[in-house]
Amino acid sequence: MKRSVRRLLLLTLVVGCTAPPGREPFVLRIAIWGPLGELAPVADDEALASLAQPWVFERLFNLDATGQLKPGLAARVERLSGQRVRLELRRDATFSDGSSVTEEDVARSLQAGGLQATQSGGGLIVAPLDSRSPVDALLLEARIFRQSHGKFVGSGPFAVVFQTETELRLTRRTPQAGHVNDVRLIAYPSTKDAFAHTLKGDANLIVDLESRWLEFFRGVPSLQIIQGGGRSTDAIAFNGALPRSERVQLARALEAQRVRELAYASAECAESSGTSDDGDGALAAGAALRVLSWGPFERLALATRRALGDRGGELSHVSPQETLVRMKSRDFDLVAVRPLRWPPSSMSLVWRTGAPHNFVGYSNPAVDRALDAGDWPAAESALREDPPGAFVCTRNQVAVVDVRIKNPVLGPYDLLETLPEWEIAQ
Amino acid sequence: MTRQRIALLLAVLVAASGVLPVLILAVLGLQILRQRGERASQEALQAIAEQAAARIATYIAQQREMLRAVGMAVGNQPDAPRRLADVALDAPSLGKLRLVSAETPRGVTPALKPEQIAAALRGTEVASDTYMAELSPALDVCVPSGRPGSAFCTTLDLLELQRQVQRIRVGEKGYALAFDRTGKLLAAGSGAMRAAVLSRDPVAESPLAAALLTGTAAPARLRNGEGLDVLAGWAALPALGWTIAVEQPADEALRGARTALGLLALGAAVTLLLSMAVGYVLVRRMLAALELEERFRTAGKIAAGVTHDLGHRLTILRQIEQLAAMNDPDYLPRIRESLATEVGTLRRFVSDFSDLTREAKPQDFLPIELNTFADSVLAGAQGYASEANVALELQRAPSELWVSGDRYLLERAALNLTRNAIEASKPGSRVRLRVDRSDGQAMLAVEDQGAGIPADRIATLFDSFSSTKRSGVHLGMGLPNVRRIVAAHGGAISVKSKPGEGTTFRLSLPVNGPHSSSPSAPATMP
Repeated sequence: MKRSVRRLLLLTLVVGCTAPPGREPFVLRIAIWGPLGELAPVADDEALASLAQPWVFERLFNLDATGQLKPGLAARVERLSGQRVRLELRRDATFSDGSSVTEEDVARSLQAGGLQATQSGGGLIVAPLDSRSPVDALLLEARIFRQSHGKFVGSGPFAVVFQTETELRLTRRTPQAGHVNDVRLIAYPSTKDAFAHTLKGDANLIVDLESRWLEFFRGVPSLQIIQGGGRSTDAIAFNGALPRSERVQLARALEAQRVRELAYASAECAESSGTSDDGDGALAAGAALRVLSWGPFERLALATRRALGDRGGELSHVSPQETLVRMKSRDFDLVAVRPLRWPPSSMSLVWRTGAPHNFVGYSNPAVDRALDAGDWPAAESALREDPPGAFVCTRNQVAVVDVRIKNPVLGPYDLLETLPEWEIAQ
Repeated sequence: MTRQRIALLLAVLVAASGVLPVLILAVLGLQILRQRGERASQEALQAIAEQAAARIATYIAQQREMLRAVGMAVGNQPDAPRRLADVALDAPSLGKLRLVSAETPRGVTPALKPEQIAAALRGTEVASDTYMAELSPALDVCVPSGRPGSAFCTTLDLLELQRQVQRIRVGEKGYALAFDRTGKLLAAGSGAMRAAVLSRDPVAESPLAAALLTGTAAPARLRNGEGLDVLAGWAALPALGWTIAVEQPADEALRGARTALGLLALGAAVTLLLSMAVGYVLVRRMLAALELEERFRTAGKIAAGVTHDLGHRLTILRQIEQLAAMNDPDYLPRIRESLATEVGTLRRFVSDFSDLTREAKPQDFLPIELNTFADSVLAGAQGYASEANVALELQRAPSELWVSGDRYLLERAALNLTRNAIEASKPGSRVRLRVDRSDGQAMLAVEDQGAGIPADRIATLFDSFSSTKRSGVHLGMGLPNVRRIVAAHGGAISVKSKPGEGTTFRLSLPVNGPHSSSPSAPATMP
């Protein structure tokens, strides 16, 4: 009897002291499709690994949801005259290799982003290398890094653990309980594979989705759909050779709700809820206008041609590379593009004369003056007076993410820049 | 058995006999309802599947009709290519319409076979099987263009159908599945199974879906791709090669019947408990009344016995008194002898009553060696046996045999049996006490060579006040008291008797293990 009691007590003790079945640490696995490329601090649109940029390489400052600057690696920002800004660095920042972030590192990093930095009384004075380029927009693009043993290291909360052709693994430098500490970018050969693996549970975050494909993810218990405002607007850019009056007419005709409805699913565009002048879209008689499109813009191009009525001419749907060549050679009348629209300072990158993303060659001194002065409303107004194109649809960013993430938010600038703050339901 | 236990047993019996048949009938009824409910659920699922199949067939027919209309309207127009391109704006599901001729490179309609394209160019409408394009099902179709040697061909985007199937909901968890001719999923309402739509991996239903198109009936209840037990309704679209299954987890579909069963079980349990509680109270009252009546009856019997026996003794004492009143010294020895006898008789009378009041308490039991105990009994009865001219003998067990008990009470019981045996024996005969171990029990048998007990008496031998011996002090409490004592020791008493040959009473008691296995242990000796 006593022995039985003793055994029972021992068993209770053993069972009571045994650790519960181990809970797998949460890993955020991001499904992407296409070549992963290399993760580098300088933006490479072709490399999908650049999704991880915001977590590895910090900016000097960031934007909040309203477009206001908030401190990043820079503790203080002071606007000087002209295109100059004075910065003071955060003193506690270190790169993932353990070294401190110095003003020399920042100056070198900014130079790669088209900016020059000179030391001045415990701070840095930053100005664009090309005086026509906007310092704000360039600073938003610039990421701070150092090269260590032939690799880029950043001062962000995550560091690269290893990379293969199809997978990039990152871990948080200082793990935080209840937050995402491990991230994997997994490159699948096709959209279908990325979707299938996400539905199977091999991946738990997928971004850059068209709204028509959301149906796949609705009702999947382990996933939630999230949306964020878009930074870019699908637009029809005009050849600068078209007269201003004609461009004004074209903009009015193409920004009409009916064009939007033809080209996009209902409620897909942020502009859908706004009022639109649908009754004044008649174009003056003239030569047929050739429409150039590429990639995802075939439907927008068709809707554009129909809106042009008798002036709708040849429609060419070509590769992105050919589109770029024809845009640079001005071999088009209208072309489908997706320019940055947010934050307002990004207008400087797209519509200022000679700006790096001004592929259609738009030039308007009034716009340039407003942009140089940082007067964004004036720049908007000047763009409306002499429109470079018709801004048709700003589409929301859509992603599907693990339901255990409590506060998944997209953007406001980089799609997944808030990921380090995401919390996991325990 | 205590009054409470009797009351409880009776209450359970009455309640069970009253409620259980009703319960069984109700369960049977509910089972029938459950089966009918299952059949009705399956029929509803079947109807939904057939409706979905009809909608799909209508949708495809409409798309093809629209394609034909476009072909008729645009076919001979000079700006046909532009108009065809514009069709994509108004009817996106029609895909990219192309005017196909013999010179058109392959790949415009990848799922159509060369002979189908040749037939289309001859003016015949042709269609491929459904296949998965990048992310949605698709169907290649060619319709006549109205121009010789050419046809309008396109890839119909069936995303809308996929959406329709995925949006079908039955209850909270029911969903629809669409399969192609090979049994691969084209659309899945179940989120967990949707990966198979893209991966093209087969699911549990795949072979059933493919077989349905060849006329094989699919089961209405099955284990689905998620491993759930589901009810299913099936519909086939042989022309399109699609199979539609509408499934609902069985536990959800049959929730109503299950709830009814649960409520019934609860109701039955409550009714049963209530019946038992009421029955218990009533039976206890009845038993109390019966017991009271029984006590009066017992008291009457005791009074009758006491009156009879004491009256007999009183008569003898009066005769002795009369003898004493004669003052005749010759009678003195007889008076003395008679008085001694009567005093002994009355002492036994008092002892018998005293035995009835003494309870056996297990906590007071002590180890008793049965051979030694039998010696003691033999010695106690020796005087009585000598008076009756009956020989007493003891047959001992081969080894020590230990039991545990109240020595006084056990001795009273054994002496009672021995005296009865002596009384039943003829002078010159023998009474034997036999100690033995039998079937793991310690046994003390008392055997006589008397006239035996009639068979009809044996059944009531141990009942109270049933003695037929009215010649002396025999209240009829002896044997019932022996049985009471033995039972209190966890033992039993039995009797075997053959008229003319004698009677054997056997007392069996539990062996007190450790003492029996180590009989020489002096520390435990009484």
